[in-house]
Amino acid sequence: MATAVGEGVPAPSVDFDTIGSWEADHVTANQVEKALSDLRRHEERAATRTSVLTLVIVVGSTEEAGEHLDVVRHLGARHPSRTLVLVRADEEASESSLDGSVSVCVVDRGGRQVAVEEVVLEIRGQACFHLDSLVLPFTLPDLPVAVWLPTSIPSRGDPLLETADRVVVDTRVVGYQPDALSRLHSISHRVAVTDLSWWRLKPWRNLFAGLFEGHIYRPFLNNVQHLEVTGHAGPRHLFAGWVMSRLDLPRSVVHLGDAEHLSAKLVATYEGRRGSFAVERKGDERVIDASVEIEGGPQFQQKVQIGEEWQSRSLADALGHMGHNQTYEAALEAALGLLR
Amino acid sequence: MTFDPTSAPEQNPLADPEDRPAPPAVFVIFGASGDLTSRKLMPAIERLAVRRLLPPGFAVVGVARTEMSDDDFRERMKELVEKGGGGGPEVRHVWESFVGGFRYVAGDYDDKDTFDRLKDVLEELDRERGTSENRLFYLATPPSTFPTVINGLKEHGLSRPTSNDAFVRVVIEKPYGHDLQSALELDRVVHDAFDENQVYRIDHYLGKETVQNVLALRFANAIFEPIWNRRYVDHLQITVAESLGVEHRGSFYEQAGALRDIVQNHVMQVLSMTLMEPPVTFDADGIRDEKVKALKAVEILTPEKVNTQVVRAQYGRGWIGGEEVEGYREEEGVNPHSTTETYVAMKLKVDNWRWAGVPVYVRTGKRLPKRVTEVALQFHRVPHLPFHLKQVEDLEPDALVLRIQPDEGITLRFGAKVPGQAFRVRSVSMDFFYGAAFLEETPDAYERLLLDALIGDATLFIRSDEVQRAWRIVDPLLQAWETDDVALARYESGTWGPREADELIEADGRRWRRP
Repeated sequence: MATAVGEGVPAPSVDFDTIGSWEADHVTANQVEKALSDLRRHEERAATRTSVLTLVIVVGSTEEAGEHLDVVRHLGARHPSRTLVLVRADEEASESSLDGSVSVCVVDRGGRQVAVEEVVLEIRGQACFHLDSLVLPFTLPDLPVAVWLPTSIPSRGDPLLETADRVVVDTRVVGYQPDALSRLHSISHRVAVTDLSWWRLKPWRNLFAGLFEGHIYRPFLNNVQHLEVTGHAGPRHLFAGWVMSRLDLPRSVVHLGDAEHLSAKLVATYEGRRGSFAVERKGDERVIDASVEIEGGPQFQQKVQIGEEWQSRSLADALGHMGHNQTYEAALEAALGLLR
Repeated sequence: MTFDPTSAPEQNPLADPEDRPAPPAVFVIFGASGDLTSRKLMPAIERLAVRRLLPPGFAVVGVARTEMSDDDFRERMKELVEKGGGGGPEVRHVWESFVGGFRYVAGDYDDKDTFDRLKDVLEELDRERGTSENRLFYLATPPSTFPTVINGLKEHGLSRPTSNDAFVRVVIEKPYGHDLQSALELDRVVHDAFDENQVYRIDHYLGKETVQNVLALRFANAIFEPIWNRRYVDHLQITVAESLGVEHRGSFYEQAGALRDIVQNHVMQVLSMTLMEPPVTFDADGIRDEKVKALKAVEILTPEKVNTQVVRAQYGRGWIGGEEVEGYREEEGVNPHSTTETYVAMKLKVDNWRWAGVPVYVRTGKRLPKRVTEVALQFHRVPHLPFHLKQVEDLEPDALVLRIQPDEGITLRFGAKVPGQAFRVRSVSMDFFYGAAFLEETPDAYERLLLDALIGDATLFIRSDEVQRAWRIVDPLLQAWETDDVALARYESGTWGPREADELIEADGRRWRRP
């Protein structure tokens, strides 16, 4: 049986039909907006429109824009209604200018054609520092706006945060930056944060939590002696922070190490018996091993498959939850404690 | 939020409440070689494993008459899962580790030895797999064997938990009895072995997202509930239509008929959720108390009223989707002189403050033009139309339609001006498609319900008093029809039912919707 990030099944092949497109250089946001409206008139006849959210992606080049639009398209039937890609093409340019392209596509959702829209704005000059002014004209009315920053973490004062109901980041990508977690912690007080790394850790978290289901295993959580988490900076801190915050563990029992794949092992005692609980990805095969070993008690292993399409799957899962995630925020705070 | 072991000893502080993972348990399927296991239960178990909702301490024990080894059972289950589109090489490791906890017990249900061996296997799994003495028994056997299996469990001490921390639950498939009397008798057997809070009577309709969405629509929105009553609603129409005939279930259907097969369970569930008052809490008793109250308000028909308010009918030959199909009496396994109904239309009265004077028209049948389940609330016309009759000749009364399957969603019908120089008003429909609005995938009904039973959430299962109320509504019809004095109407396959059903509703100055 399979278990994948998301739902454990391969991502469906996505059949995107572009029913209209437009592009022009040196335009105004109003012109792009008008082009979008004109195309939408076609869309209304071609497909059902049931809006979910506006997704804004901020990238540094048109290549990156294409790459991340592909990720969003791979969401397939779980695609948000409108994607706005802001390309910071040249911050140094002496004059502000805007190139725009718009496409309206239909995607098949269980036999029904549903419309989605993509707007790409290539921005030059001072306008790169006022992205919020480019987001607002394109947001869908009354729906949440998620701003995805694939390779950076904004500062707390970034005006772009004003437009966002949710900021999507990835501590797996930025975790090695020395102040990444503290900046993230700081902006989490201002706006809800989705960390793709947190969602990618979900199989590990689920599996690890599952080891303590039931009255035989749960009492071991009351007396934890040792927690060891290895993996990349960022994810390993988040995982350890999660366990610490949930169990109120002191810093002294937690040990971290660098490794290519994440592993976690918890040693605890209950009624004089020692129990060892572990989740581990041993090699490049996309399988996590979970094991329980209790002195004089049950010992068993479980394997869980982790699927392909990491980014689109975790993005889809993440976008399904729009509020503040208190468990994540507590884990982030505890993770910061590990860095001090 | 930190873990306080003294305040919540039963909670796993690491578990994400949104994920609702199952606790360690053994899932015991009686009827493991049968159709339900292969079509529904195993695929649901696989999906739960795929979604990481089953813990490492989870095991499956199949019990059936067919001789099979543990390995044969594992292989067979794997084949079933693969046949249903699951499994496959990319999940090989997971399957291998998961089926390590699969066991099989072959034997007759009335043989003491079967239960002795089952007990040994369960204890072994507790020791080896850490299943924590938790049991979920699933009766996927023919209803006639329910008492035998339940008595077997009781006599072998398997119907009660062995410790305060452990649970034992039993899931019982429909049909739950074949009339009120037999349902009461089955309840007596069940309650002799299990407490009511251990019993999970399943109707997979309740596992459907869109059925649950009736509750969300009504009780999470401020705009619908104020008009959900006699002041605004003229009448209700519930349609459960199937385009298929009895297929290969002719001999089963001969004993059941549309009333037992659909009305007593699916229709009553949808009806009670549509009629119920807002619950105080969204939990098993909060919801079920209100459903029972709603069913209590439904009129019990006298024999005379069965004649005037109910139409039973049977399909004849006809055409569906360009294909000629046989009549019911020509189907395999069906008596050529059968009087079993394949269609029921009825008018029900609801005697309570909210619904007094609002008739509920129900129709269900096989071989109707298409498969559709929907609840339609048709509203009163406006008290005064300030238009010339000609201007509103295309205007129908407003309606809110909850589409349960297929095309799950909601349709609101209202009047709008037709563009142009003249002032004309015509009905238009505004459609909401459930599947187009959400990013999440929809779990299958069995998947949802199995997980609920493992977790111990009985909200979407049917309580004893609910089953009884449903039978009380249906029983007078069964009794009246037993005498065969009540006419059996005929309808052509591929039509929306017999003329008599049209007459039933047209006598009130209304007409059936065309779904």
